[in-house]
Amino acid sequence: MGDSTRAHCGLFNGNLEGYISLRSMKPCHLRASVRCPQVVVLFLAAALAVPALAWGRSPLESDQQTLKNLTLEQLSNIEVTTATKGPESAFKTPAAVFVITGDDIKRSGATTIPDALRISPGVEVAQIDSDKWSVGIRGFGSRLCRSVLVLIDGRTVYTTLLAGTYWEVQDTVLEDIDRIEIIRGPGGTIWGPNAVDGIINIITKTAKQTHGTLVSAGGGNVEQGFVNFRHGGGTKSGLNYRVYGKAFTRGPQFHRDGRNFDDWRSGQGGFRMDWSRGNHDAFTVQGDIYKQEDGESVVATSYTPPYSRVVDANAHLSGGNILGNWTRTISDKNDIQLQGYYDRTNRHEPNFGDIRDTYDLDFIQHLRVRRHNVRWGLGARFSEGTNLQVVSGLTFSPAERTDRLLTGFIQDEYSIIDNRLALTVGTKLLHTNFTDFEPEPSARLLWTPGNKASFWAAFTQAVRTPSDAEHDFFLSGFVGLAPDGTPFFARFNANRHFRPEKLDAYELGSRLLVSKTFFIDVAGFYDHYRDLFSEDLTGAPFLESTPAPAHFLLPAEFGNGLLGQTKGVEVAPEWRPVNWWRLRGSYSFLRMNLEKSRNSQDAGTAPGIMGSSPEHQLSIVSSFDLPKSVSFDFDYRYVSALPGQMVDAYSTADTRLAWRLPHGLELAAIGRNLLQPSHPEFGTDPGIPSGVTLVGIKRSAYCKLTWVH
Amino acid sequence: MPPRPGRFTGNTSPNRRTIFALLIFIFVLSGIHTELVGQQLQATESQIKAAYLFNFGKYVSWPPFSSEHFLICVLGRDPFGSALDEIVAGEKIAAKQAEVRRIRSFHDASSCQMLFIASSEDAQIRSVLPELANVPVLLVSDLPGFVERGGMIQFVTEGNRVRFLVNLKAAQKVGLTFSSELLKVAKSVQRDAPGVL
Repeated sequence: MGDSTRAHCGLFNGNLEGYISLRSMKPCHLRASVRCPQVVVLFLAAALAVPALAWGRSPLESDQQTLKNLTLEQLSNIEVTTATKGPESAFKTPAAVFVITGDDIKRSGATTIPDALRISPGVEVAQIDSDKWSVGIRGFGSRLCRSVLVLIDGRTVYTTLLAGTYWEVQDTVLEDIDRIEIIRGPGGTIWGPNAVDGIINIITKTAKQTHGTLVSAGGGNVEQGFVNFRHGGGTKSGLNYRVYGKAFTRGPQFHRDGRNFDDWRSGQGGFRMDWSRGNHDAFTVQGDIYKQEDGESVVATSYTPPYSRVVDANAHLSGGNILGNWTRTISDKNDIQLQGYYDRTNRHEPNFGDIRDTYDLDFIQHLRVRRHNVRWGLGARFSEGTNLQVVSGLTFSPAERTDRLLTGFIQDEYSIIDNRLALTVGTKLLHTNFTDFEPEPSARLLWTPGNKASFWAAFTQAVRTPSDAEHDFFLSGFVGLAPDGTPFFARFNANRHFRPEKLDAYELGSRLLVSKTFFIDVAGFYDHYRDLFSEDLTGAPFLESTPAPAHFLLPAEFGNGLLGQTKGVEVAPEWRPVNWWRLRGSYSFLRMNLEKSRNSQDAGTAPGIMGSSPEHQLSIVSSFDLPKSVSFDFDYRYVSALPGQMVDAYSTADTRLAWRLPHGLELAAIGRNLLQPSHPEFGTDPGIPSGVTLVGIKRSAYCKLTWVH
Repeated sequence: MPPRPGRFTGNTSPNRRTIFALLIFIFVLSGIHTELVGQQLQATESQIKAAYLFNFGKYVSWPPFSSEHFLICVLGRDPFGSALDEIVAGEKIAAKQAEVRRIRSFHDASSCQMLFIASSEDAQIRSVLPELANVPVLLVSDLPGFVERGGMIQFVTEGNRVRFLVNLKAAQKVGLTFSSELLKVAKSVQRDAPGVL
C-alpha cells in the first residue's frame, strides 16, 4: 500500500500509522469589533446536527457506484490517486492535522507555498510584499516564523541564523508536491527543534508517481511569466527518476509611494532518484539548486553619516541541497531509516550577508511489539555560517559560527483497547550549543468509538532554542540627532544568556464523519508560554565612542521577558452535497494574552506582538467539476484586523477556471485577491526599526497552459 | 525600539452583502448543472481497473454459453480488494448474473467468461495462454507485454491515467467480438497475428 520508497517521508506512509511520520517529522487579541460572518454560523449549525445517517465512506473517496456508470472514455480520463489522503488518514491522529493535497494546490491557483497554506485552519499567512510572507501557526506570525518547524521532504528549511524560515527560497514545481501536512501545536515527540507552535511538512511525489513529461507556462499582471518543466521515467529494475527546472519573474505589488522595489526573479532546478531493491531496501537521492534576485527595501544603519538610509535593492539569494535516504524493512514489524543531507544557502542582502552550510544525519527505527508501536531516533546537525558585514549597524559577533544540534526522541503508542483507545507517550531530547539538554515530553490520548468519530487530547512541553539572532547579533537603529548634532542610536546587543522559550500546551480535538457527505474537524488549544522573546532596555542612554564618531546609545537586548497564554479553536468542515461539488471551510479563532514578566525591562512589545496575529480567520473553498472537462474553484477568505501592523481587516477572493483539452493539455485562468484593487496584509515584525510603509497586495490574474504526456 | 503607536481604525465585519452575493452565486451555478457526472473524479488504480472489467462486459460479445452466471475470474494475487466485488454486485453482464471468483490455477479458468491475470503470475504466462487458446475467455492483465504474447486486453498506466491495449486477433480466434466503442477508446489495437507465446 503506497510506495515504500520515501513514502515514509511524511505523516502518512500509506499504512495509516500513527501521526508521527517515520521520517521527516523532525524533531514547527485585542477585541476587534467584528461580527461573526453568517456562513460560520451555517457551518457550525450543520456540525452540531445529530449524526444519524447511514455509514458510508469518506467523502473524499470516489464512489464505486459512480465509477461503474462511467463510459470507457471517462474511465480513461480519471486521475489515479493513492488511497490514503485527506480526512480518512488524519482520522486516527491525536493531533490537529490538516492535509493540503497536490490537487488542492492546483485548484487554488496558488503559485507559492505560503499562498497554498492559506486554506488551513490555524495558520496565519500574510503577504508582506512580492517576495516576503509572514507565516505563523496559532499566533506569533512574523516574517521569519520562529516557532514553526518547516520541512521539505525531511530536510529542515528553518535557519538558525535568525530563527525562522525564509519562504522566498522554499520552492519547487508545485505540481510535484504530493501533499503538505500541517500539524498545529507542538509536534509532540518528533525530533528537531522549534516545532513549538506547529510543523509544516512539504512532501513531494515519489519519482514513480511522476513519470512522463510535464510542461507548464503562463503569465499575467503580477505573475508576469513562468515556466515549469519536469520529466520522469523508470526502468524495470526498480529505478525511478525525475528532473525538473522552473523559472519565473514576478512584478512588484502596490506601493502608494511609487517605490516599486519588490520585483522578483528566480530560476531553480533539481532531480530525484528512487531505487528499490527487492522488498527490503529503498534508496532515494534528491537535490535542488536555485538562484534568485529578490527586490527589497531595508534600512541600512551606520555610525557614520548618513546614519540611516532606506535602501531599495536586490537581495541575491542562491543555494542548493542534496539529500539521501535509505529505508530498510527488516520485517513487517521493524524498519529503519537513515537520512543525510547537505544544504547550502547564500544570502546577500543590501544590509548584510550570510553564507551557511548545513550537514545533517538522522536515524529512526520503528518497531511493533505486542500492543506497543515504538519509534525512536537520533539526529545530529551542524550549521556553519559566515556573516558578511555590509553596514556597521548590523553585525554578528563572532562573524563565523557553527551551530550544533543533537536530538534524540522516543515515542510509544500503546493500544489500551485495540482500535479504540490508544495512549502515546514520549519525549524529545535536545542539545544545542546554546542550551543544555532540554527534554520535551508529551502525552496524547486517542479514542475512536467507531469509524465515524474520533476524539483526542494532548499535553506537550516544547522549547524554542535560541538562535544567532539572540546570542550573537548586534542590530542598531538610528533614533535621531541630538540638538548639538550628535547622533543618537539604539542598539540590540547580543544576549549570550538568552534562554530557550518554553511552552506548555493543552489540546483537545475531534473528528466526525457526520454523514457520507459531511465531515468536520474541530480542535481547541490552551498554550501557556514562559521566557518569551522580549526587547529589553538595559540601561540609560550614554555617550559611546566606538564605533567612531561618538554618539549617544540607548542599550537594549533581546531578553526572555514576556509570558502569557494563547487560546483558540479551529473548525474545518467539509461537505460534498453532490458528486461534482465540494465545499471546504476553515474558521480559526485566536485570543492572545501576553504581558511583561515581573522585573522585565521589556520596552512594551507585547501589544505589538498580540496585534500582529488575527483574532478571526475564515476561508470557504468551493470546487466544481463541470461537464466538458471544465473545473471551477472559488475561494473566499476573511482575515480580521492586525492593529499591531496598522492593517485593517480584509476579505478577498480567488478563483480558477480550467479546461482540460485533448492531447494532454489543460488551460486555466486564475484570478487572485479579486475583491479590491489592492489590500495590505502585513508590515514588518513589531518593534524592529524600519522605514517600510505598507505594501498593498494587488488584484491579479494569470493564465496557465499545462501539457502532460 | 518602542513599538509604533497603534493607529487602528477599527473597520471590520466582512460585508454581509458580499457574503450573500457569494452564496447566491454558488447556488445559482450549481442549479444550472443538475445531471452531471464529475469528469475529474479521482480513484485508485485498482478501482479504475475494476470498473474497466465491468465495462468490458458491456462492449464484448461472447458466443452463447450455458452457465447461469457470468464469471469474472481473478488468477493470482488479487489487487482489487473489495472494489471488483462491489462493482459487480447485483449487476448483469450478457443477460446473466455477474459473479467474481478467485482461482488458483489456470485449469479452473475454462469456466470463466473473463479472466484477469494478476501481475504475480508473470512466470506462468507462457503456460497459461496456450491452455486457453481455444476457450472463449476474455484475457485481461496488466503484465507488461501481455498483448504481444497473446493476451487480449492489457492495462497500461500513462501519466496519471489507466489506459488499455487491445489484441483483436487473439480475441477473434476464440469467437469474441469487440464493439467499435471499445476499439475507439483503446490506446492501440493489434490486428495482425501476434507472435504467440
